Amino acid sequence: MTQDKNDSIIQVTDLHKSFGKLEVLAGITENVKRGEVVAVIGPSGSGKSTFLRCLNLLEQPTSGHILVDGVDITDKKTDINKVRQGMGMVFQHFNLFPHLKVIDNITLAPLQLKVFSNKESARKAGMELLERVGLADKADSYPVQLSGGQKQRIAIARALAMSPRIMLFDEPTSALDPEMVGEVLKVMTDLAREGMTMVIVTHEMGFAREAADRVLFMDGGIIAEQGRPEEIFSNPKNPRTREFLSKVL
Amino acid sequence: MEGFFQFLQSFDLGRQIYQTVFYADRWSWYLDGLKLTLQLTCGAILIGTLLGVITALFSISGFAPLRFIAKVYTTIIRGTPTTVQLLIMYNVIMVSSTNKLLVGTLAFGINSGAYVAEILRGGIMSVDKGQTEAGRSLGLKQWQTMLYIVLPQAVKTSIPTYTSEFIVLFKETSIAGLIAVTELTKIANMITSQTYNAMVPLIVSALIYLAVVMLLTFVFGKLERRLRKSDAR
Repeated sequence: MTQDKNDSIIQVTDLHKSFGKLEVLAGITENVKRGEVVAVIGPSGSGKSTFLRCLNLLEQPTSGHILVDGVDITDKKTDINKVRQGMGMVFQHFNLFPHLKVIDNITLAPLQLKVFSNKESARKAGMELLERVGLADKADSYPVQLSGGQKQRIAIARALAMSPRIMLFDEPTSALDPEMVGEVLKVMTDLAREGMTMVIVTHEMGFAREAADRVLFMDGGIIAEQGRPEEIFSNPKNPRTREFLSKVL
Repeated sequence: MEGFFQFLQSFDLGRQIYQTVFYADRWSWYLDGLKLTLQLTCGAILIGTLLGVITALFSISGFAPLRFIAKVYTTIIRGTPTTVQLLIMYNVIMVSSTNKLLVGTLAFGINSGAYVAEILRGGIMSVDKGQTEAGRSLGLKQWQTMLYIVLPQAVKTSIPTYTSEFIVLFKETSIAGLIAVTELTKIANMITSQTYNAMVPLIVSALIYLAVVMLLTFVFGKLERRLRKSDAR
């Protein structure tokens, strides 16, 4: 494995996914470079979330290959659990564990997967993560006691607890009240600045424009257009991109 | 005490009560009956819970034969009367056993297991799919996700139905007299056949059942409130 900043950490080749007769992904070939922040935009039903969920095999692709750090995760022999430990995921609906305190939400996986040998060191690392998302005072709260924005920041901290090299975000701000979007985006922006590789399905065009290195526009199960945010947003070439952006901007 | 007994003897219902409850220390029979009833119930719920958990896990397994076993078990048990199951256990399956309490406990336990399995399966199904996805996305294995994330939540939602199953089971053991286990109802019948008085022994046993059910409801209610702690704002 090279440490070249330009090499691809995710390589997707001819990815197809069908649910029954419905073809959701119709052949996607795309690479994500180490440290790159990629925003995936597009109308609903375009396959954005399915594409993202294929990247850590929450959805099983119908055909095609996905290489993460050179390992083909579509190969049945690959230990997907091992690969997933290096890929954090943040969901639209947070999916915090309601029966566990905030700190235990964060330390559950690192403890079970033996990243830490004892509770104290796991808690210490967990507290540092909470510090990072500005919620250290909520360590002993239960998720139900938090606001949506706080829940999502905890969810990000939880995903970071396994020290992933890649973070996947599935519409992380779509379920939030408008006044809470900012606090979550700030945490994500910080993360991007620190050099985390991120793939973000989002409806936040302003954020995509500011924080992303590259924007993928998906429509009808394919990547209809992709490029630097300023190109996509200021000078889209594909008429479908233009139509979509005219609706959302 | 003597004065109380003399008072009882002074009117008809009192004499009936004296004869069926206090004469020859018959009250201790009821207690012995209740003890057997509780033994049956507790033994059966232990077996039932164990079988239920295993069956529930079978029923959500990715391995079809295990799902099939779970389906067959719950279908047969829930599709036939408990009384018939008890008699089959006593007269057919364990006909050579002389330990009637054991036969009864097993029959009720196997019966209860099917219901506990369905209760728990419902609880597991009610846990949002996102919980499993969150667990798996962190790299946890299927069993770890089940054990640490899904099951604790499933158990919590299952508790109210599970405790009513416990209470149903407690009352259902009253048919164990059919295989000559001298539980509470059987005791009431025995006292009736000795005293030719049906009313008082049956009412007494009914009151004992009721008292225990009310106590259980109270205790389970407290337990549920404690488990709901993490839902509180």
